[in-house]
Amino acid sequence: MDRGLVTLIGMSIAYVASLLGMACAYWAWRKRRSGKDGQP
Amino acid sequence: MTQFTALDWLWTIAYLLLMVGGPLFFYKLARRSESDFFLAGRGLPWWLPASSVFSTHTATDTPMWVTGVVYAHGLRGLWYTFFAAWTSVGAFVSARMFRRSLAYTQAEWQVVRFGGLGAELLRGWLAGWQVFMNMFILGWVGMAMGKVCTLAFGWPEWVGLVIPSTITAVYTLAAGFWGVIIGDFLQGIVAIWAVVFVSIVGVVAAGGATEITARLVSMGQEWRLDPFAFTGWWSGEFPAAWWLTMLVIAVLGGFGMGTSIDWYVEAQRIQSSRSLRDACYGIWAGGAITLVRNAFWAAAIIGFFVMLPNLTSVAEYELGWFRQGFELLPAGLVGVFFGAILAIHFSTISSHLNLGALYFTRDLYQRYLNPGASERRLVWVGRLATFVLLVGSFFYGLMMEEITQWLIFALWLMMAGVWLPNILQVVWWRFNASGYLASWMANLGLSWLVVWILPSFGVIPSLPDYLQFWLLMALGALVFLPATLLTRAEDMDHLVRYYVMVRPIGWWGPVRREALRRGLVGEDSTPIATAWRDAAGEPASPRAPAPSTRRPLIRRTWTPEAAGGWTREDWIAVFVSPLVFAGILIGLTKLLLLQMSGLWITLATAGGAVFLYWVIDPKLRAVSVEYETRQAVYLADLEKQHRWEQAGIPSPQPKAAPRPRGG
Repeated sequence: MDRGLVTLIGMSIAYVASLLGMACAYWAWRKRRSGKDGQP
Repeated sequence: MTQFTALDWLWTIAYLLLMVGGPLFFYKLARRSESDFFLAGRGLPWWLPASSVFSTHTATDTPMWVTGVVYAHGLRGLWYTFFAAWTSVGAFVSARMFRRSLAYTQAEWQVVRFGGLGAELLRGWLAGWQVFMNMFILGWVGMAMGKVCTLAFGWPEWVGLVIPSTITAVYTLAAGFWGVIIGDFLQGIVAIWAVVFVSIVGVVAAGGATEITARLVSMGQEWRLDPFAFTGWWSGEFPAAWWLTMLVIAVLGGFGMGTSIDWYVEAQRIQSSRSLRDACYGIWAGGAITLVRNAFWAAAIIGFFVMLPNLTSVAEYELGWFRQGFELLPAGLVGVFFGAILAIHFSTISSHLNLGALYFTRDLYQRYLNPGASERRLVWVGRLATFVLLVGSFFYGLMMEEITQWLIFALWLMMAGVWLPNILQVVWWRFNASGYLASWMANLGLSWLVVWILPSFGVIPSLPDYLQFWLLMALGALVFLPATLLTRAEDMDHLVRYYVMVRPIGWWGPVRREALRRGLVGEDSTPIATAWRDAAGEPASPRAPAPSTRRPLIRRTWTPEAAGGWTREDWIAVFVSPLVFAGILIGLTKLLLLQMSGLWITLATAGGAVFLYWVIDPKLRAVSVEYETRQAVYLADLEKQHRWEQAGIPSPQPKAAPRPRGG
């Protein structure tokens, strides 16, 4: 396989992993915020 | 292909039992808690993190990479390896601040430095990146082992990729970071022995140091012995501008966090140390031993070049040091050499398995998915993550074709776009989460533009790597500076809390003044601080006491409070330390090749190291003693925050209990 293509695939997975981590953080943040808002 | 005798196999099996059995003894310690499984309980003396830094950065691919650059460029190629010298500054700057934060990981540090949603997004981003990056490193190191096994035994590459890594995973799964650190210590001893012995054998086989020099002269290649054989300021394959770029990346990088791919490994060792002093010495000594190793390799590879000067394929000459071991050692010792190769492989694999699992467990699972998880569950999640990383690394390893290209690209991508933001997040109070996150997100796109897309369409020429670095840095600044300045600064309560905890170096004037106003830090009237304030246009506090006695040029008696600030002694350490590192690398290499200049450089380097210790050790001792008494209370507080038990960031009050200021 072409080295450039392999690198593109490999590093794109790195960014997908980072975005997933960020999405996870956002989901947890929203969950915490909505939990706090619901408190009397 | 190498012929193994029964004695060779005996040595290999004996080393295998030592390197796997030793770490397994620590199984019971690792299962006690998350802190034990990932930080060995934060109680390690400096020599254990030091040996671990060296062992982890001595991977199966490392001799290939060092061989490749020294064979191609002579001793000037050693400067490629000088990026390890960031530890010479980092030990006294970024390590000190990171240790004070007590964050498990660089991702966790983001929520200490920044606040709100931006900090959480950064933490998630870095955690995802590091889980992947460790899998990627495991893949390329595993593939290097596959190549070595092919060279030695003719096995298919996948065998060398899968079997040694799987053996490593056994003790990493069972004993966690305790196993990693004990294994690294044992493996480090074996590795340094092999590096020294095989390199000396390589030099002797080439006719000895004098003969090597004579043959290089007769070949018209004596420039290979000159580490400063520049081809001009800007032209040729080794311009001075390239060298200066490498120096700037390494030395200034020590002021930041994450400026090198190695930082993430060192960060774990910094936090596993029992005090700030142990953390500083741990990564300093680890970096120094790494450069000693490079010096031995370089001497051997110069000898290899003299014996086989006409190799043109990178894949062929990058195996030079391994060939010296397998082809020059007598039967019986080849098994010892292979045992050492296993040692350097195990140490790197185990470290990255545990590190990747740490980011998943601490920063993703515990922080976002299950904050209330028990210690027992966290240890098991750590083990599961270790296993998943192992399997993922096999996939990545099989994708890779040439080790060196991947390594250089990964390092470049890591450094170029986020190098400056990694420093700014440490030294500039106004830099915020938006700016840092923007720099990370833009990094991949900009790298592709500069390295491939724009040259392909003829928009810009294909630039040498050092110009790519500066261009990427400048383009990155066009993204992260507006992102920082057009968004709000971090909340002042959060910044004050961070300042009091970490006592950062750099431009922190507004935050320091606020901390002073709240009575959370004492006035620092040391001359360097005064000069710094004057330069920044800050007024002196009316409460500042006038110095009653004349300050000695080098102060060697410290109170913990005074030692917590940045003083002249720190700047002396920051200046002398990189010179010592450069002296180790160049002086020792020349000494091994029996050049007289090597002797003088090595002697001066030894003197510089003693002076460095004399200047900085009293400060590190003072600050460490104070901090150790408060660490347990502070760790409990940190754990509550991590589990979301403290909503938001409480405002520090003037009468609040004092925070730890040392490390």
